[in-house]
Amino acid sequence: MTEDKILLTARYVEGDMDEAENADFEMRMQSDTELQEHLKDYKHVHQRLKIQLAPDQQDIAFKETLKHTGAQYFAAPKVVSFKTNLKWLSGVAAVLIIGLLVWAPWRSNLYQTYHIDAQMLVTERGAEKITDLDKAAVLFNDQKYVEAQNLLAKLVQQQPENAMIHYYYGLSLIEINKLVEARSILTPVYGNESVFKYDAAYAIAMSYLKEDQKSDCKIWLQKIPEGTTHYQKAIELLGKLK
Amino acid sequence: MAKAVHLDQRYLIGLVNNDAAVINEIYKKCAGKVKSFIVFNNGTANDAEDIFQESLVDVYNQAKYKDLQLSCPFEPFLLLVCKRKWLNELKKRSISPVTKGEDDLLHIGEDTFEQAERLEEEKEQTTLFLKAFEKLGERCKEIIKWSMQGEAQEKVAEALGVTYGYLRKKKSECMASLIKMVQINQ
Repeated sequence: MTEDKILLTARYVEGDMDEAENADFEMRMQSDTELQEHLKDYKHVHQRLKIQLAPDQQDIAFKETLKHTGAQYFAAPKVVSFKTNLKWLSGVAAVLIIGLLVWAPWRSNLYQTYHIDAQMLVTERGAEKITDLDKAAVLFNDQKYVEAQNLLAKLVQQQPENAMIHYYYGLSLIEINKLVEARSILTPVYGNESVFKYDAAYAIAMSYLKEDQKSDCKIWLQKIPEGTTHYQKAIELLGKLK
Repeated sequence: MAKAVHLDQRYLIGLVNNDAAVINEIYKKCAGKVKSFIVFNNGTANDAEDIFQESLVDVYNQAKYKDLQLSCPFEPFLLLVCKRKWLNELKKRSISPVTKGEDDLLHIGEDTFEQAERLEEEKEQTTLFLKAFEKLGERCKEIIKWSMQGEAQEKVAEALGVTYGYLRKKKSECMASLIKMVQINQ
């Protein structure tokens, strides 16, 4: 009887069976295609309903994002109500607060403001094994610089030509305050032609900033040409170091 | 047969992860087109915003819970979903649209139609499930809704003032009658 089987399936999924019933149901299901079908349907209906009746936190957050983004792109330029004004004001206030937090005028530590906040991205096409380089990247991105530095030191030995590894090795060394060592790694990166050339110059500037050697810091900042990643920051910082 | 996943799957991943940059990119790319289509077809900018949002939610649900694999480019797919949604809405409001069907949609592959179709079917099905749910008794609705909140079921039982055993029994019964209703209506 179909009726019976639907309820049976529901009781099975919801855990409303004793052990014997449960075992019996599972046994029957092996060969009973109708039961298998009911089980699939039950899960499907349950899931669909759950999305509608009890959206999870992520779903709610997603809809929020859509609402905010949509407001930007669909807003008709018509009468601005007081309510929208308030919305804008709270938005502006939020931006100001975030701005203040980032700018942090009460924080005099320039290094904290200007240091390189980079993520180490390692992409090797088709590589399936997790290499030491992958591990180093994870450690670096988790800001576990001591461990990252240990691994990178090894990798630098193995791949003396690889500017990227040298660069991140240098950055890790700066983070753990081995500044002289960091500069000895980064200076050759600056000396050679690679995409990390001016990143390295900026990093060296940061290492001097960290020990408050302003004049050396400035010398290295000035090496950074317009159009490179850290140019804006360099100019800004040069202004503050005067 | 499994089809190759399109590179634009990244948009779906972005949606599922609530990635603001990707969502912004989608709006930037498609919002204007949907808006002009809807405004041209007896709608307002507000209608367009709602339709666009609903369509993205449909796509999101499909990607998150049903593992939707995009086998066509994202943009025409989303545009098609939006257009169909709006044409349905017009039907409900009994206004005949200016644009007839989809003959204005150029460069659209079969895959796109197929995927949009599936999305629409799912949506209709969900509406059917919800209708059946609404027909249940108050107690049933309460029990189903609460038990779906993702909390430990023991806690739900406590909150509803029943035993855990009763909650399981009652929920099975309620869900079974809901499914039976759905089957009758199908």
